[in-house]
Amino acid sequence: MTQVEEREATEPADAPRAKETSSGRSRRVVVAALTLLLLLLPLARPWIGQPFNYVMQMGIVVLMWIAMSSSWNLIGGFTGYISLGHNVFYGIGGYASGLMLVYLGWSPFLTAPLSGLIAVAFGFLVGLITLRTRGPSFIISTLALLLMTGLIFDNWDLVGGSNGLSLPLPPFPVETVKIPFYYAMLVIAMGSVYLGYRVAHSKFGLALRAIAQDETKAEVAGIDTRRMKIAAFSLSAFFVGAAGAIWGYSLSYLRPTVFFIIGIAAQMVLMVIIGGRGTVAGPAVGAILLVALNEISVSQFGSSELNIVITGLILLVVLLFFPLGVVGTLRERGHLPAFLDWD
Amino acid sequence: MTHLVQVVILGLLLGGVYALMASGLTLMFGVMRIVNLAHGVFIIAACYVAFYLFQGPGWDPFVSLLVTVPLFFLIGIVVYAALFPRIEGSPRFTEMTVLLTFAIALIAEGALAYFFTGTFRTTDPPYKTDAILIGDFFIPTAQFYAAITSIVLLLGLWAFLYFTRTGYAVRATMQNRTAAQIVGVNVRRVSTIAFGIGMALAGASGSLISFLFPFFPARHWQWIAILLALIVLGGLGSLKGAVVGALVLAVLAGIVSDQLGPTWSPMTFFGALFLILLIRPQGLFGHQARVG
Amino acid sequence: MSLLELHDVTSGYGYGPDILNGVTLTVETGRSYCIIGPNGAGKSTLLKTVAGLLRPRQGQILFDGSAIGGTRPDLVLATGVCYVPQDRSLFPEMSVKENLVMGAFLERDKAVIAERMDRVFQMFPVLQNRLHQRAGTMSGGEQQMLALGRALMVEPRLLMIDEPSLGLAPQVADQIFEIIGSLADLDITLLLVEQNVLSGLACTDWAFLLDLGELRIEAPSDQILDDPRIRELYLGRQKETSRPSAPDGEGET
Repeated sequence: MTQVEEREATEPADAPRAKETSSGRSRRVVVAALTLLLLLLPLARPWIGQPFNYVMQMGIVVLMWIAMSSSWNLIGGFTGYISLGHNVFYGIGGYASGLMLVYLGWSPFLTAPLSGLIAVAFGFLVGLITLRTRGPSFIISTLALLLMTGLIFDNWDLVGGSNGLSLPLPPFPVETVKIPFYYAMLVIAMGSVYLGYRVAHSKFGLALRAIAQDETKAEVAGIDTRRMKIAAFSLSAFFVGAAGAIWGYSLSYLRPTVFFIIGIAAQMVLMVIIGGRGTVAGPAVGAILLVALNEISVSQFGSSELNIVITGLILLVVLLFFPLGVVGTLRERGHLPAFLDWD
Repeated sequence: MTHLVQVVILGLLLGGVYALMASGLTLMFGVMRIVNLAHGVFIIAACYVAFYLFQGPGWDPFVSLLVTVPLFFLIGIVVYAALFPRIEGSPRFTEMTVLLTFAIALIAEGALAYFFTGTFRTTDPPYKTDAILIGDFFIPTAQFYAAITSIVLLLGLWAFLYFTRTGYAVRATMQNRTAAQIVGVNVRRVSTIAFGIGMALAGASGSLISFLFPFFPARHWQWIAILLALIVLGGLGSLKGAVVGALVLAVLAGIVSDQLGPTWSPMTFFGALFLILLIRPQGLFGHQARVG
Repeated sequence: MSLLELHDVTSGYGYGPDILNGVTLTVETGRSYCIIGPNGAGKSTLLKTVAGLLRPRQGQILFDGSAIGGTRPDLVLATGVCYVPQDRSLFPEMSVKENLVMGAFLERDKAVIAERMDRVFQMFPVLQNRLHQRAGTMSGGEQQMLALGRALMVEPRLLMIDEPSLGLAPQVADQIFEIIGSLADLDITLLLVEQNVLSGLACTDWAFLLDLGELRIEAPSDQILDDPRIRELYLGRQKETSRPSAPDGEGET
């Protein structure tokens, strides 16, 4: 008996499931403990010592990718519309906050939500055009969007063109400079995972899943599929834009190649597919696994070329042999630990 | 006016090569509903084949067609047989093909970059900078030869599709897969052949591109984005649409390049894509039902 | 003599549920059969499974004594089993002539093809007049005639037709049924699925009644027509279904 069928039978998904209360409680405990641990991590600086900045940096990177993959999952996972250009929102967020910092002196820590909203507005406008159709045209349009945006930013003087834009350094002492970035990313990551959770357990999420399964039937069932798709697409831009804002500030230097390269989109796609498309915990699991793997592969091989090959190979193997990803596969086999079962 | 005609001539010459690249891609979608994101990387791979045949034995890029066409046909057959039958019957087949070919594109790009580095390359046949003068107009020799070759290859494709038994089977499968099956077409075999042909066209394009545009591994993303935009414009799976779209957009891109600078010429393709999605999502020669 | 035998055949779509639930039936050579039953009974699924478009999940299909269950559709066709789906499945961009030529795809002898085409034109003179018209631009009735004509190009031993009257005006449908009734003279064994039960039974000798994926009744067509119980249970909605049915092509399984 697969979990999937069971879930379908008890839809809507937020219906109470009596036999799962104990696992639900253990899940809550694990999550609370994990949150506390992440919140307190910077306080461990005296004990961590020298590698503290490295630990913080890894934390920032992992949290950023969790935010990115969880957001991508809204459109690519739940709705089944693959976006190969989602890092456009990342770049727009990064540049929006960067420009506000350079020209207005506003700190990206304050403007990150605003940049997220700018990304949402942009996503909405793009979605109005590209989500009129179903099927492969959307995917193609996202790829075109990415190359187009990259081209514009490469040649736009206001943002420094391909030379980039230098940002004022953050006003913090070197030893603890990473801490505010860490907390900002933590908020963004938790926000995006929580958003994924809320969507998964809402009527909206149900509509998105219906679209993924069979868009024609969803339409016949009275779902305004176009509105739902546009909503999912623009919503999925918010935390990606905010993450771009914080990430750009942490680099203190914005260049189109930091944001608008397909490799970033590839990572987002891969993380979600490894973790499990359309699951709440999957994207986070995929992000953690892939950041770890990248870290190992860079230290082992050192070359970014081989890293691309490895990314592609993993994608290929997962697609062919574990299309449900870690979370999906474990659930199908009945081995999914309760603290990962959020659906 | 003379200047504009000159720009149009150059655009049409390049359009022929674009048509060659795009027709392989749209053939794959038309017959198998495969969106081949790896088409661009295979074109670049063929560029390297032509490049090393030129550097080593000193073969002219046009002679290298004798290698690239059959080689990439074979690669196509192998890639198809190894991957696609596994996902046949997958409920979201086209989406799976996008992801699978995305993976292939990454693997191939990384491998090319690893072996051949990220340096710009180009083949330098002796006629590369020559031009034929007709009245006030000049026709670059290399572009001219490339366009002629593209036309010959496209005519060959057309003859294959309209005058051979397998060609009929390919067209039948494009128009209605079930119908093809029930009249006795072995669609698996036809699909394998069609994928091989699409890849052979990619191989041929690589030979031609090798002296027309400088290339390096990561360049394939720009190509594939342009080509995909082009076949959406023409109507996914429509060969006629791919050819017409290629010619029209190449001319427009030439005009944009002339007016705003070459940097902006790819914008023509992307702009046209968004415009067509806005006014006619199924493309110029597409059918609404087919895209669904 | 039996031409087609199904033994305990179970079948369905993709990863979906079983639509056909262990059907066993025998089709005798030279007879014509009508398969009737409510929506979702598995009528079309049965035809698709025999044609090789669906793989049986269980059970055996024998045609002329050899197993064809799960075989590729083109190989099934080569044994002489031809299928005309309810959406007619023509090649819309090809002309009438090209569609007919494609019908004889497995036949390589041009003379034989020409001969068969002449025979098709005798049955459907309309097609000869429309030789170069694109199939996609023809009317529903003409498309159905082309679909039947294309099937006859195979010279099938068993012809399976799914809902030939679907979407046709009543008088056009009657014309189609008349042609189907005359197929018996060509030594073709016929397996017909038809919502318009009265017409379907009228032009066939024998009937299978399917319900919920199982064979319920097997009897001569006229007997079914006369049986008041069956009329009440299964033919009651006759008035409803005799008008052009809703185009729920995919839904009907």
